[in-house]
Amino acid sequence: MNRLRNHSSGPLVITTLIAVAVSFLSGCEVPIASFSSNLVFAKRLEIDSGMKMEPAVNETQSILAEMFGTPDQPTWPKLLSEDQELAGLVSQQRLTRAAGAVRSDQQDNHFGLFREHCVHCHSVVGNGVGPTSSFLNPYPRDFRMGIFKFKTTPKGKKPTREDVMRLLTEGIMGTSMPSFRLLKQDDLEALTDYAIYLAIRGEVERRLMMEAASELDLDKGERLLDPALKESAPDDYQDQLRLIEETVTKVAQSWTGAASSVTKVEAPPADYPLFGRDTAGSKEAQDRLGASIANGRSIFHGKIANCASCHGNTAMGDGQTNDYDDWTKDWTILAKVDPRDKEHIQPFLDVGALKPRNILPRNLRSGIYRGGSQPVDLYHRIVQGIDGTPMPAVGLKPDNPQGLSTEEVWDLVNYLLSLPYEHITQQSSQVPPYQRENP
Amino acid sequence: MRETSSSYSPLVHGVAVVLTLSVFPLIWVGGLVTTYDAGMAVPDWPGTYGYNLFLYPPETWLSGPFDLFVEHSHRLLGALAGFLSIGLVAAAWRYDTRPWFRTWTVWVLIAVIVQGILGGLRVRMDARTLAMIHGCTGPLFFAIATSTAVMSSRLWIERTALSPQSASWVPKLASIMVVASYLQLIVGAQMRHVIGLTSHRVFMGFVHTHLTLAAMVAGLAIALLFGASMFTSAPRPIARPTTILALLVLVQIGLGLGTWIVNYALPWSEITEGLARYTISAKGYWESLIVTAHMATGSLIISVSTMVSLRSWRLASVQGIREGAWLWKKQLA
Repeated sequence: MNRLRNHSSGPLVITTLIAVAVSFLSGCEVPIASFSSNLVFAKRLEIDSGMKMEPAVNETQSILAEMFGTPDQPTWPKLLSEDQELAGLVSQQRLTRAAGAVRSDQQDNHFGLFREHCVHCHSVVGNGVGPTSSFLNPYPRDFRMGIFKFKTTPKGKKPTREDVMRLLTEGIMGTSMPSFRLLKQDDLEALTDYAIYLAIRGEVERRLMMEAASELDLDKGERLLDPALKESAPDDYQDQLRLIEETVTKVAQSWTGAASSVTKVEAPPADYPLFGRDTAGSKEAQDRLGASIANGRSIFHGKIANCASCHGNTAMGDGQTNDYDDWTKDWTILAKVDPRDKEHIQPFLDVGALKPRNILPRNLRSGIYRGGSQPVDLYHRIVQGIDGTPMPAVGLKPDNPQGLSTEEVWDLVNYLLSLPYEHITQQSSQVPPYQRENP
Repeated sequence: MRETSSSYSPLVHGVAVVLTLSVFPLIWVGGLVTTYDAGMAVPDWPGTYGYNLFLYPPETWLSGPFDLFVEHSHRLLGALAGFLSIGLVAAAWRYDTRPWFRTWTVWVLIAVIVQGILGGLRVRMDARTLAMIHGCTGPLFFAIATSTAVMSSRLWIERTALSPQSASWVPKLASIMVVASYLQLIVGAQMRHVIGLTSHRVFMGFVHTHLTLAAMVAGLAIALLFGASMFTSAPRPIARPTTILALLVLVQIGLGLGTWIVNYALPWSEITEGLARYTISAKGYWESLIVTAHMATGSLIISVSTMVSLRSWRLASVQGIREGAWLWKKQLA
């Protein structure tokens, strides 16, 4: 019995010590106190303006914290929630649900959704530089420029809420962006709100920093919002405050206007041949489809659409392959920094930028269309282009007399859809691919 | 300490084996907790939503949200491992005559308690770091339980000299395999439990280390396979688990690749059309199964490596004793 006592007292003490040590070492779930600043953009402004941006970065951060809260307690700015038009853009309740630590309850309500599903790639602040980002191709989206690729609105416009929801639901084929179709509708709504919130917050941050770099003499201590002026020069203080509020409102308004700018898709006539639907139709339908595809092919190689210049004569994405997306150009080309020059890009990499990669035109023969593979999705890509990328929008007649007619766009869609089935050596043939014999 | 055949107790060994077998589903369900981010599906501990752990209404547990199901199941399986550990101590102190083994069983019980407390603290403190530590110490307990099963076996106690012998470097290699596969699991846990604040450079470091260790573990498994059963035909208690170990490592490499694809897709996906057409389904059935299986197989590799290591050291020491006795007799003669 004594031996048992001797044997068991040591382990008990050690166990207690281990438990205490582990508790102290690991600590509680540390709240994420603040969003990180956009230091890459600040570095670009620093090069442009020749001023130290640190004061502006710090000040912008505190203004944003005041208005937008923290990752654990995000807030929809009061001035937006009081605006009738902007109040419904993001719900504070859904924002709270998407933020903070991950947990769920007996009713299967999930909280901390952004940290559960998104943060590993998009990071806490939504800058697309999450822990896994450097391994992903393409890199995860940086929400802070307010640019989204796949949407139903024209180039330069924000996506609609439905566009963001669709991306979340369907994911992006062939990329690391998963489909969240197994999530409940409420969860998807909350994530959509949070993505919009981060995009607005990030764009406001950029605009305020830009304002500071272009309008203020930071070296002389000028500030975006100087609390000292509240007493000494209240009018100046109010002007400063108004400018900040206008910036926030403008960015938010760009989102509410998206729904009204959705590209109207001119559907082809009912008897118009469509690839897939009419591939095995009557001889007449097949002949018409063949003619449509042939016309699409000439448009692809023609001067107006000029798709071949980037996607290549073979349509395998082997045309121009040395361009960059707008997220990369923002801190390289626009800052007069050569993205291929290791020495020049290093200061940006040091503050969090990811190594520049060329944006490659899609291989249209693979049959993989990231923005959706329905004919209407391709129609949107052609007439709207793809935001943030070198893919331009094709002008439409009659607004643009030099552009394409709606029918020509559908011909091009037919050609694109037929490409995965066309043998590469037969691309000049006038015989539709599905009517040819296999070589 | 000399061990006699009277030390062997089928009951003690049986309890140790059942404990080991119970830990694998415990680890699997624990893996599901992480895969589904269900660690905080039950916000209190040691109770479950105010109920005693064992009195939580089965209808709520079984037909409630899946997150709650896996978290509560994990706790119940943990409790089962705890009870089996208590049974092991009782059986060892009653039937096993080896003092060191009796003490060892007390350590086993302490280990399972510490592991339970770690899991509880993870919930009480809502600490993901603790979840990661708990995830790393779980497989350690699996290895401890495996060791207990090996050290309570007839093979261990009766020190039967088996022939033919495996290569003399097998015990050392098997021990290196245990350490390497555990390190590999720890690095894997860092990737699996990564939080949003982690730098992409740190994550990149984890990935490269994980790949390097994977190559090392695969090399060790191949070397063990050759050392134990191909160049020399080792006794079945070594050869069989070594073959299983090699197969597990092979499966694990496939699961590792699968885990990457279902989490992050391949960076060069366009090369393979089939992969480029794949859209990851967050928390999808196959995605969750592959990721959890990768974690569980990692634990199984540690367990089987531990078994090979202990058995090979033991059999090598028997051979050593026999050779020593032969030399001693020769000297006397």
